[in-house]
Amino acid sequence: MVTLNVNGIRHEVQAPDDTPLLYVLRNDLQLIGPQFGCGLAQCGACAVLVDGKEARSCVTPVASVANQEITTLEGLPARWAKQKGLSTPEAKSTLHPVQQAWIEEQTPQCGFCQNGMMIKATELLESNPHPTLAQIKEAFTTSGPSPNLCRCGTYLAIIEAVQHAATIMAKGR
Amino acid sequence: MATMSEKPGKLLGPTLSRRQFVKAGGALVVGFSLIGPDVLNGDSPKPATLKNSLDPTLPSSWIEIHPDNTVLIRTGKSDFGQGTTFTAYRQIVADELSVPFEAITTVVAGDTDLTPDGSGAFDFLGHGTPNIRKAAAYTYQALLDLASEKLGVPKDKLSVKDGIVSGGGKSISYGDLVKNQQLKLTIPVKGELTSIFGLTIEGDPPMKPVRDYTVIGKSFKNSIISSKVAARETWATDVRLPGMLHARVVHPKTLGSTLVSAGVLDKTKFPNSQLIVKGNLVAAVAPTEWEAIQAADQVASGTKWTEWKGLPGNAKLYQHLREEADWTSAPVEKSKDSKGNVEPVLASANKKLSATYQLSYMKHAPIGPTMAVADVKPDGTVHIYTHNQNLQALRGEIAMMLRTTPDHVIVHSYPGPGHYGRSNGGNAGAEDEAVLLSQAVGKPVRVQWMRADDMQWSTQSAAAFSDVHLAIDEKGKMAAYQVDHYMPAMQDDRPIGAVLAGLPTMPAPEVHSDGVTSTVNSMEDPWVYAPVPNLLERGHGTFQVGQKASPIAVGLRDHSMRTPGQFQQNYPRELAISEAAALAGADAIQFRIDHASEERAIGVLKAVRDASGWDTRSSPRAEAVSTGSTPVRGRGVSLMLRSGTYWACVCQIAVTTSTGAIVVEKYTIAVDPGIVVNPVQLKRSVEGGAVMGIGHALFEEVMFDESGITTDDWASYPIPTMSDIPEIKVVLLNNPKVGAYGGGSEAANALAAPAIAAALYDATGKIMRRLPMKPAYVQAVLKT
Repeated sequence: MVTLNVNGIRHEVQAPDDTPLLYVLRNDLQLIGPQFGCGLAQCGACAVLVDGKEARSCVTPVASVANQEITTLEGLPARWAKQKGLSTPEAKSTLHPVQQAWIEEQTPQCGFCQNGMMIKATELLESNPHPTLAQIKEAFTTSGPSPNLCRCGTYLAIIEAVQHAATIMAKGR
Repeated sequence: MATMSEKPGKLLGPTLSRRQFVKAGGALVVGFSLIGPDVLNGDSPKPATLKNSLDPTLPSSWIEIHPDNTVLIRTGKSDFGQGTTFTAYRQIVADELSVPFEAITTVVAGDTDLTPDGSGAFDFLGHGTPNIRKAAAYTYQALLDLASEKLGVPKDKLSVKDGIVSGGGKSISYGDLVKNQQLKLTIPVKGELTSIFGLTIEGDPPMKPVRDYTVIGKSFKNSIISSKVAARETWATDVRLPGMLHARVVHPKTLGSTLVSAGVLDKTKFPNSQLIVKGNLVAAVAPTEWEAIQAADQVASGTKWTEWKGLPGNAKLYQHLREEADWTSAPVEKSKDSKGNVEPVLASANKKLSATYQLSYMKHAPIGPTMAVADVKPDGTVHIYTHNQNLQALRGEIAMMLRTTPDHVIVHSYPGPGHYGRSNGGNAGAEDEAVLLSQAVGKPVRVQWMRADDMQWSTQSAAAFSDVHLAIDEKGKMAAYQVDHYMPAMQDDRPIGAVLAGLPTMPAPEVHSDGVTSTVNSMEDPWVYAPVPNLLERGHGTFQVGQKASPIAVGLRDHSMRTPGQFQQNYPRELAISEAAALAGADAIQFRIDHASEERAIGVLKAVRDASGWDTRSSPRAEAVSTGSTPVRGRGVSLMLRSGTYWACVCQIAVTTSTGAIVVEKYTIAVDPGIVVNPVQLKRSVEGGAVMGIGHALFEEVMFDESGITTDDWASYPIPTMSDIPEIKVVLLNNPKVGAYGGGSEAANALAAPAIAAALYDATGKIMRRLPMKPAYVQAVLKT
């Protein structure tokens, strides 16, 4: 039995300790943000935040993150609402600025990798609210276990969305 | 442990607004009386189709108009990220019907039971008249007829704005028009539903004039992006059925191995797992995904396969293709533009070029490996839940495999990772395996390929080489151009699980195979330099490498990939044209303009010249060097006509000659698709294609030994990362006088390679006629 804290909710999970977190999130907790891309920590499609830091759930044994704060794509709006102290009704109708920017910039093509891209963007903007172009490229290329890969080639749209999200976050809503 | 049953149907029910709507919307069927040609002849309409749940000859199968003035559209095409079904299709229908974009509230796409037409997720815009536009045009005429009758006003005195028909001082909304109507309209349709091209709407209904468009041309947002970004979309990967089991397939050791003996499943470790063996198809099935993965690994370690060494291996690929492949059994294809007599001109010219260009195997490499859920019911009905470009074709293939009829097979489509053409002929890889395993265990089964399965057992974009001979006359003009393109069969649509299990499939590519699966190498790259007086373009085809030698007829299976066949032909041509310009001492863009006759080709060349800051001069540049450790810079250009759209690109690069590493610094692309339907969506699509093109040009190469593919992950098969992207500039040339809209999702990926190769020549004076331009290969060329 492993106790997980995902998007602010505690779950008792009976998966074997070595089960990759990804399968627990998707199959046991029905969280569909993180996707299976490679199972090798080489692409980022499965990324989640563990205590605010991007982690690749496909190679993270579930027992290794017991009781840590896990945030998936589904949890980004609440994460933002908590950080900004939004009221409950306000929080319910508000996406995370990163998600808003991803929609406004029409960033995804197929969108399968974009979970990881939004997780990486959130990690970046929480520590560096005004990243330069070089810092954005560094974040998505060398900061994690591997570059965050997009086969559709949406990197320019991602950069523009990160910059847009930074603007929204600076405005505070 | 939380189980699936705690939230029954959660992932198949309430989140599926599109499907739900069908149930509600389907209650109201709009019908109109418009007599089709068959009816005029006294026959009942006979579409050449198998039975489908939606009759394609009825307009309401394509477009429903509801009493509340909302509109539903249906298309057999699945979205693969182009967004066309959610943006351009709605815009096109809105303009044909004269309703606002927002009136089209529902798009039903893909599912074989819920859409009428089949065909694949390619050529969405159908050269300006996709099925959905014709369906809308027929519907519009029928609505006018109905309004004329109802209002007592002649049809030609009626006008429509925002779904309100007005004339003779009276008006009525579409919604009020269709209330309680039971009239019939028959749309003429031809084609085979489960063929790759599906059904096509025939006839020539009057279309709205381009000058009256009010919705086309605006950047409406793609609605599915919002639901994906908010984690509210159900992806194929999210489908969970009651009682569903997880499976992993143990694929053979080589591309020609047969099973000697399957490993024994360790029941003490995996008490809930089952081992399934069907011919050469071996799989582990388990209640949980992690157990299935581990059980499959354990079985794999004990499974024995025959050895096979029937491939030439990378190092000998081009030698094999040149010297050993059979290029004689498939008839030689000659382009329709071929003219004059190249031979004497090539023989007598003073300035000429003879060169060979080589292009490696590349993977579609979806960011998520292929997967599918199948549910074979006790009565033999099969449901497949997947992400697929051609559901009706898949339906036909699964029916063939099961020796049943397609009406027993229902395929449901969901979003998934783009795979750029891999399944346009019906299967992406896992669907048939899921069906066979579900049949074996009597429960729904989810098959998920692992990354290595997807790299090693999927199809690839065919390798190719081309021989070019060209001559420049004394005035610096191209007097003759001859090219012979050599490429193995580029489309193998056999489901791999069926092949491994020894079950019926379509034949492996042969000369006389149907259409795209033939070994014939057809001419795919339209010639755009009409003033060249002597032209000979030929295509030579052969079997897939290893296909004949493999005991299971597999080998290196090929499949069309973004800009299929045309990439393999355009890369050699455009690089050769840049070389020809250099030979003539001319600027590469001006040389193209001087040899082009079509205004739109010249238009994109001039646009890309202006936007890229191109300095007019010949290549290589005066400062070109191929040694030293300081990066040297150069630029190159390429041109293509594809699906009614003209494309030109300029790549400006820096190459470090000591390492051979190329960095693309600026990438400018000009596109004239005729009418730009949705500028933002087109721009995003072009940007993405451009980045993929950098991967094709610089990194992507399927490596293989004598037994199989050795590139099995992202480390061995790298694609561009964010740090590889240059400054990208997209110039959209809206050209309404063309009167049609061309495609925008393909071509962009093919433009970079010849432009970057020309830029390398410009920078260093060395020509490299091989893809990819990996540093080690570039270094070798620079040393010559």
